Amino acid sequence: MVKFLGSSRTPAAFLHGDIRNTVGNVPMEWYQDYPHIGYDLEGKKIFKPIRNKDELDEFLDKMENPDYWRTVHDKMTSTDIRLTDEQISLVHRLQSGQFGDVNFNEYEPYIDFFSGETMIHPVTNRPQDKRSFIPSLIEKEKVSKMVHAIKMGWIKPRKPKESDLQFYDLWAKEDPNAILGRHKMHVPAPKMKLPGHEESYNPPPEYLLTEEERLAWEQQDPEDRKLSFLPQKFSCLRSVPAYSRFIHERFERCLDLYLCPRQRKMRVNVDPEDLIPKLPKPRDLQPFPTIQSLIYRGHSSLVRCISLSPSGQWLASGSDDCTVRLWEVSTGRCMKTVEVGGAVRSIVWNPNPAICLVAVCFNETVVLLNPYLADKLVYNATDQLIASYVEPEEERPQPVQWQVPEIEDSDKGFRLIITHPKSVKQVTWHSKGDYLASVLSDNSNMQVLIHQVSKRRSQNPFRKNKGLVQCVSFHPIRPYFFVASQRCVRVYNLIKQELMKKLMANCKWISSMAIHPGGDNVICGSYDSRLSWFDLDLSTKPYKVLRHHKKALRGVAFHKNYPLFASGSDDGSVIVCHGMVYNDLLQNPLIVPVKVLKGHTLTHNLGVLDVAFHPTQPWVFSSGADATIRLFT
Amino acid sequence: MSQLQVRFFTENAKYKVDDVPFSIPAASQVQDLSNIINKLLEAKHTGHSNVEFDFLVRGNFLRTSLVNHMEAEGISTEEVVEIEYVQRFMAPQPEECIMHDDWISSVDTESEWILTGSYDKTARIWTQEGKAVMTVAGHTDVVKDVAWVKRDGVTSLLLTSSMDQTAILWEWNVERNKLKARHCCRGHAGSVDSIAVSPNQTKFCSGSWDKMLKIWSAVPTDKEDELEEQRDRPRKKQKTEQMGLTRTPIMTLSGHIEAVSSVLWSDNEEVCSASWDHTIRLWDVETGNMKSTLTGSKVFNCISYSPLCRRLASGSTDRHVRLWDPRSKDGSLVLLSLTSHTGWVTAVRWSPSNEQQLISGSLDCVVKLWDTRSCKAPLYDMAAHEDKVLCVDWREDGVRAQHANRLANFVYINLSILLKETFSVQFPYALWTILDCG
Repeated sequence: MVKFLGSSRTPAAFLHGDIRNTVGNVPMEWYQDYPHIGYDLEGKKIFKPIRNKDELDEFLDKMENPDYWRTVHDKMTSTDIRLTDEQISLVHRLQSGQFGDVNFNEYEPYIDFFSGETMIHPVTNRPQDKRSFIPSLIEKEKVSKMVHAIKMGWIKPRKPKESDLQFYDLWAKEDPNAILGRHKMHVPAPKMKLPGHEESYNPPPEYLLTEEERLAWEQQDPEDRKLSFLPQKFSCLRSVPAYSRFIHERFERCLDLYLCPRQRKMRVNVDPEDLIPKLPKPRDLQPFPTIQSLIYRGHSSLVRCISLSPSGQWLASGSDDCTVRLWEVSTGRCMKTVEVGGAVRSIVWNPNPAICLVAVCFNETVVLLNPYLADKLVYNATDQLIASYVEPEEERPQPVQWQVPEIEDSDKGFRLIITHPKSVKQVTWHSKGDYLASVLSDNSNMQVLIHQVSKRRSQNPFRKNKGLVQCVSFHPIRPYFFVASQRCVRVYNLIKQELMKKLMANCKWISSMAIHPGGDNVICGSYDSRLSWFDLDLSTKPYKVLRHHKKALRGVAFHKNYPLFASGSDDGSVIVCHGMVYNDLLQNPLIVPVKVLKGHTLTHNLGVLDVAFHPTQPWVFSSGADATIRLFT
Repeated sequence: MSQLQVRFFTENAKYKVDDVPFSIPAASQVQDLSNIINKLLEAKHTGHSNVEFDFLVRGNFLRTSLVNHMEAEGISTEEVVEIEYVQRFMAPQPEECIMHDDWISSVDTESEWILTGSYDKTARIWTQEGKAVMTVAGHTDVVKDVAWVKRDGVTSLLLTSSMDQTAILWEWNVERNKLKARHCCRGHAGSVDSIAVSPNQTKFCSGSWDKMLKIWSAVPTDKEDELEEQRDRPRKKQKTEQMGLTRTPIMTLSGHIEAVSSVLWSDNEEVCSASWDHTIRLWDVETGNMKSTLTGSKVFNCISYSPLCRRLASGSTDRHVRLWDPRSKDGSLVLLSLTSHTGWVTAVRWSPSNEQQLISGSLDCVVKLWDTRSCKAPLYDMAAHEDKVLCVDWREDGVRAQHANRLANFVYINLSILLKETFSVQFPYALWTILDCG
């Protein structure tokens, strides 16, 4: 108490030069017998104030001084201090156990400074210590010691705890964007059928079964019944009995839910139209032959071969009735009939417009026939050309025999007869019209012969037999020669005398072949009803195989000017296709079947035997086993 | 049953009815309307004999019921419909059949005679009754086209063209029935498929398979033109082979890229040619230049020009007969397409006196008579031929007209040629009578 008071007064006493207790907080009894009490700064004794009050004075003071009760003796300074009113009230409050401060409200609302809330401002404004951001050297030393110990193997790593349960995320690898994602694969449970009028306790009379219906219902198997219960009528809802099948139905429902296949069927919804490659419409690819226009009648047996004159005015046909007929294209008039000594296997008009010759092959002979159907100058010049042949001085051995026909044959138009050792099945001209190739039906090493008409020379270009040759053809521009055997087409370079390419037709037996007028594409018809299109620049495999015919193909042909090709088959139809070849080497040919032409009747299971295009118009001719030739325009 | 308000009118004064609107059933057919007119005429004149009428609604022949026709043409049924009626064109009847030994390639008629060219390398002259008068033999190959040039008193000039690359100008003395080859026109390098004589009869034009058209003089002279080619041949042989004096063309018109199938003169200075290169070209004969080109999509087989309606009719391999205006310069050249044939149209011919009628012959063995006012279907099909029709022609026949029907102006005989397959059978060509009682 004293100290409290003294300390509260000390600054004031010090300032006013009051005697001050310099002894500190020591018991005052120690200085009881001394005149001084402590020392001042100079080391002089501080003398006690003179105490002149005795007991009596004390008593008098007690009796007379009204402030006596509030006067207290300060032992430190040995003075009497009169307490102020505030001090007294403070003493009173302390004595009554109250807070010293008058203004202190002990029932103030509680402010919880250390709540869980995170304050946005720091509690203290003290800047961070330097040590908080300077690595501790001691720690470093400790760590380095531990590192050293680990290195030396003194500290072993802690054994990993083995957890006995392994968990993994089943869907961790699922792509959230997957079409078949779990969230998208939700299959709702099958809905229950809503109750109808027949389930009512009072159904309309039409829902109630008649006697026969009821009997029929009872006789039906439970699975076949339309309704699983008999609709019944009750006068009021109260009289409806408990539903006997309730448990059963609940059970069925549970089975339905449980056994419901919750798997989405992966049905591919593809429009079949989309799978078909986009081809232009045949309408846009006109002109092409669409309708039968003329029938050339006159032959009495099947017409094996036809050929068009280079001008397009005349048509030559050879038949099994041992005749060659020459027709006017525009009217269907047979202008000439030439009897030959056997069934005509092949007939080809010389492609050179300056020469009027038709090569006809039958039996073992190839006959060059002048049909006298062209400009007078042209056919006279042709006769002169053949007559102007001079025998060479040295006779060379020839594989065939060249003959000038007898008078009666000459009157028929025969100009030269080439007699082969075996029967000939095909002839073909080179585009210049001087060379002629013939195919012998003989499985020896002499199957193909090339003849030069102007020099009456023949040669066998192939020494080896490489399979049965079906047909041959000259390249329209380059000195190439195409030889079709049963399975493949070989392309030879006639100048270098080497095999250039071997086209694998992927079919069993090639029947016919045609070369595109550009020379880079070949089509092959085969007896197993396929037509293969080869792009020589692309591959030795067919670029496209068309299987539109139902039966064996007998003849194929390309048009000279229009992008058309046709195939004739034993099923009696001619199929015309649009076959556009682009100059751009990067673009593949466009092949669109455009028309099926029917007209020939099947005879002895044979339909169309040969097809040929008109040289200038988009018309196709077909010869058939029904002894007719038909023109489709 | 709905009714329509109609008003009938006609050009023919004889069959005029009162110009008042009638109400007739909408579903009336031609026969019903014809009966109405006949009833009206009977009421007007006593002694009216029944006449069949045909009806034109806004220039088109009525072929279905009236209401259907108006619906198709988009004519309002609310207003009074003007219907023109004309006496019905009677169905042509086969009149004569002239038999040939071989295919007939061409026919040309004159007032008295009929000239036909045949595949047996001859041409023949017939009377109109079908009696053979003369056989024109001289060509070494099939005669492709024939034409009358002119008749001058007792002598007639006629032309034949052949596959032997020549055309021969013949002079025929009718009285003595003597035929003489006057000129052999050489120059073509292909079969001469078509010839046409100019309207003033001094020139003719020939079209050939060698893609050329050549203009020749049709006046016989005694001078022989020199022919440069064929020098290497023995002159004597050439002389014996040749029929008449050699004549060379005045002018050669080249421009077609395919064979010329048909030529004609549209007037004295203009030649029109149809070709396999899908074009019809018009040529100026004075200058030898091409004037214009009409392009089609298919091969043209034949063309015909009518000076009355100034239109070209073409027959092509796509089975249509097309009408063209050769003078129009705008893009729409085809005026009408007449579609009914099922084979190549090989011959068309405009009527010489009726500007609306033409006939067409086709490889489907049918000859059809068309009226340009009813372009949906032909007026009549003439289906007596048993084989391909290669040529057709009209003929005016004044004599026959007089005793067939006093009021008839003309009787036309259509000659169309029948073709047969086998040679043993005679080849008939038929004469058809068409009575036009306009």
